[in-house]
Amino acid sequence: MLKVSISNFFVKLDTLKLTSRLITLLLILPILLGLTGTLLPAFDFLPALSHYQFSLTPWHNLFDSPELWGSIKLTLLSGLLATFLSFIIAFSTISVFYESRWLISIRHFLAPILAIPHAAIAIGLVFILSPSGWIVRLLSPWLTQYERPPIWISVQDPYALSLVLALVVKETPYLLFVILASLDQIKTCELIKVGTSMGYTRLTVWRKIILPILYPLIRLPLLVILAFSLTVVDLALVIGPNTPSTFAVTLFHWFNDTDLNQRFSASAGAVLLMLFILFSALCWEMFYQAFIFFDRKRWSNGKRKTLLSPFFHGAAISYLMCMLLALLSLIVLPIWAFTHRWRFPEILPSSWSFKKLEQLSPLLLDLACVSLVIAFVSTILALIISIIMLEQKRSKASVNKWFDRFIYLPIILPQVGFLFGIQVFLIWSNNSGSLIAVISLHLLYVLPYVYLTLSGPYLAFNQEYFIQAVCLTKKPFHSFFHIKLAMLKPALFSAFALGIAVSFAQYLPTLTAGEGRINTLTTEAVALAASGERKKVGNMAMLQALFPLIIFMLAQWLPRVWTHYRLRLSRLLQSHLKV
Amino acid sequence: MLKVKNCHLKISEVPLITDLSLSVNNGKVLILMGPSGCGKSSLLNYLSGTLDSNFQAQGSIELNNIRIDALCTQDRNVGILYQTPLLFPHMTNLENLLFAINAKQQGLNRLERHNLAMSKLAELGLESKANDLPAALSGGQQARIALLRTLLSSPDYLLLDEPFSKLDPELRQSVRRFTLEQIQKANIPTLLVTHDEEDILAMGGDLIQLTNLNHNN
Repeated sequence: MLKVSISNFFVKLDTLKLTSRLITLLLILPILLGLTGTLLPAFDFLPALSHYQFSLTPWHNLFDSPELWGSIKLTLLSGLLATFLSFIIAFSTISVFYESRWLISIRHFLAPILAIPHAAIAIGLVFILSPSGWIVRLLSPWLTQYERPPIWISVQDPYALSLVLALVVKETPYLLFVILASLDQIKTCELIKVGTSMGYTRLTVWRKIILPILYPLIRLPLLVILAFSLTVVDLALVIGPNTPSTFAVTLFHWFNDTDLNQRFSASAGAVLLMLFILFSALCWEMFYQAFIFFDRKRWSNGKRKTLLSPFFHGAAISYLMCMLLALLSLIVLPIWAFTHRWRFPEILPSSWSFKKLEQLSPLLLDLACVSLVIAFVSTILALIISIIMLEQKRSKASVNKWFDRFIYLPIILPQVGFLFGIQVFLIWSNNSGSLIAVISLHLLYVLPYVYLTLSGPYLAFNQEYFIQAVCLTKKPFHSFFHIKLAMLKPALFSAFALGIAVSFAQYLPTLTAGEGRINTLTTEAVALAASGERKKVGNMAMLQALFPLIIFMLAQWLPRVWTHYRLRLSRLLQSHLKV
Repeated sequence: MLKVKNCHLKISEVPLITDLSLSVNNGKVLILMGPSGCGKSSLLNYLSGTLDSNFQAQGSIELNNIRIDALCTQDRNVGILYQTPLLFPHMTNLENLLFAINAKQQGLNRLERHNLAMSKLAELGLESKANDLPAALSGGQQARIALLRTLLSSPDYLLLDEPFSKLDPELRQSVRRFTLEQIQKANIPTLLVTHDEEDILAMGGDLIQLTNLNHNN
């Protein structure tokens, strides 16, 4: 019997299989090391600190901590509330604006918001919402009578409401992006036509028909948002509460405590946080199932209208408000960066200056270069790995289920526990504080997003184009690059831009692997956020947002004009040669 | 001459084609017909070396009395045309033709290569469209360029997988005629898979009717 596969075009099938297994192993290894490095100290076992006996002491210390329960309560409430609000707002926005001109504008505005790191948005929001921020300035003194900033707590509030707002501003566009991609798979327009032709209002069709079909498709991204909201550190450090802080931030402080024994309680806390993620995901799912159980009876009650219409519209309007806040956050960063004097309650600075930028330029240049090198290398590696794994998946020779199962784990597991587990391994292997270690950890977080973005278009590519090219040229590699990859340019560019944005946003992975020796724009911006040096923070956050934004815009623009400009250039060269 | 001897095709151990033998002379077209799922396209994939790994194939393929079934696609020197012309959308019509010419093998320099591609476009009266993207062409023009592109790669045999099925009925006849002329000019054996009985009359070749083994069982 003869077995022939398209994979034979490039390399022997066995080589492809072997490479994909090696990649899977390289992915699983740090995840297992991270989990082990967290689990063992949680039970008092850490040979590096001469703890050789398992015990429950870390757990006793953890439960004796006075800030534990307040911190957990705050985390669960803020995480669940932020996810719930993001879901309600994203779903309502789509149902209200679907097939309208507004949706085109909303779609256009999604990419820049997705590109900007969380910390930059949070810093911008602090500049807007704080007592001396833009909103109070806009209303003072004519409405509020304030001549000085009021003494109230509008950011880093004890109820974590500002943190919830920051999470909603950042996560709703992501969810909207996911929902829009999922709607393409379920023939939404036809479903709406069928429903409305029977006399149902559009919003009723969305609630009764589309939501039950859509939800299974967005379940995983929703859980990713939930896990992120429960475990985020950088955003919570900038805009979250302090007394107590959210549980992830508390653990972050414990892990960095000069008293190394705190690491054991922190590890136990990280395990507890993982259990809380599971618990929250379970609660979320049970809540949804209960909603569907009760709502199911209403699906077939024949009522064409929904009383929830004002609620849908209100939620959709709040999305526009969120985007306005995001836009203002972006505008306020360069304003602070170029401010010379900006007294309260002036709406804009009274004098401008490049002095701070000039003064900071050597540091900013250094940080920008490091950030760009890490982002470019990790994203290109992620692209190469994704292409190899997708090529293997497409050939159907042996679908690597382990890779698909493990790849999303780093973005679901709490960074704060998982990364410190890896740090133990990095210190042991003498790699801590190296650029390679930072790039490797970034790769762990960039890879899932790049793989996810690329997999749809890559697997949907009409392989007949490639077969045709190989038959014509007899050169598989040439055909692969000039036809397959060239035709997949838009998807490759999008995945690349997203990878860069994800890498730029990483705070804890840089801090953990870099050990303070390798700093990026994000680590510096977050570290300075609490310092009150608004001009300096403004400069850092501006650049932190600027690079991913530029790359995102280029990624959208270049594939569209690439062929056009290439042809113009070749015509120009042809006419030049003729002359 | 292309010969297939005692071909057995199975998908996941389910037989699709059993003991099929056929031969096609140079410049001739052999037509394969049969119901959906009887293995027509899989047979073409077997002949081109692009069969998926969940298929099992047995038998031999000979081209001018040399066995080629152990070779991978790029070494078989095969030309394939599918239902859609598959002109590369990011390349101009001229670039699509240039892509197929192996200058080294045919001993052509840059200018000769360019002139060869342009002469093919001139045959179709499409020189003015040389620097346009394929999207600007009609379906019939795309089908003709796709065939010329395949033939420019100097294949030793040609496999056509319902290449006329997506064309308008009035265009179909002229494209069929053009295809037959080109095949005779190139003097290579051709296998055509089709559902359309008019193709048999137009292409004038022998016919093999495949049956659906699973249905028969």
